[in-house]
Amino acid sequence: MKIITACSTGLGSSFMTQLNIEKALKNLGVDGVETDHMDIASVGPTSADVLFVGRDIAEAATGLMGDVVVLDSLIDMENITKQVAAALERHGVEVPNK
Amino acid sequence: MLSSYLQSGGVLVIDKVADWREAVDVVTRPLLDADTITDGYVEAIKTSISSPGGTYIDLGGGVALAHARPETGVKTTSLSVLHVGEPFALADDASHPISTMFCLAAEDANAHIDLMQALASLLTDADRLAAVNAAGSVAELTAALA
Repeated sequence: MKIITACSTGLGSSFMTQLNIEKALKNLGVDGVETDHMDIASVGPTSADVLFVGRDIAEAATGLMGDVVVLDSLIDMENITKQVAAALERHGVEVPNK
Repeated sequence: MLSSYLQSGGVLVIDKVADWREAVDVVTRPLLDADTITDGYVEAIKTSISSPGGTYIDLGGGVALAHARPETGVKTTSLSVLHVGEPFALADDASHPISTMFCLAAEDANAHIDLMQALASLLTDADRLAAVNAAGSVAELTAALA
């Protein structure tokens, strides 16, 4: 299981989101999920299982991967944790601390 | 600690700015003065914000992280922050009101992980974020970032 985040530059917003997803994974008690951040132009269908992006590049991210999650806020841990848990379940990963 | 990454003189508080371009000019000034970025980096940030989808630097909670690609003019990884009393509209888009704008200058995509960890833990803590957004002086903002 791999989750990636993307933004236009691949080092600010996406990096922040990746760190917050890692925090969510820890809170959820999930191990062994790989995460990374990159610029949107580098994302392809096989880059990962799930792509997280902010609402402003949702359009650019459409169709890049099979599973794309759009976040309204990149720092709202409550929603990020909820979205990460849902994504894990979609991909058959058990979530201990739901 | 985030404060250890902030450029000397890089914590700024002013009442208001004319628009988001002025906010970028103000927040990048300490980094230009310290010679950690070039004028090209400031222009690259403005071009990025005014491009389609450029408001992606709005992290939520009234906070924006102004940044561009390293090759556009980053000399040394560094950070500055501006808080304004009256929110401005990022990219002139009223759905993106910003009270606090950080300027991140990163030398590459990964080297600044400690800085980003510190920033992420600040911004995901509702109490600390509220203190940042309520800061009325450089001393208050510095304390909120510590």
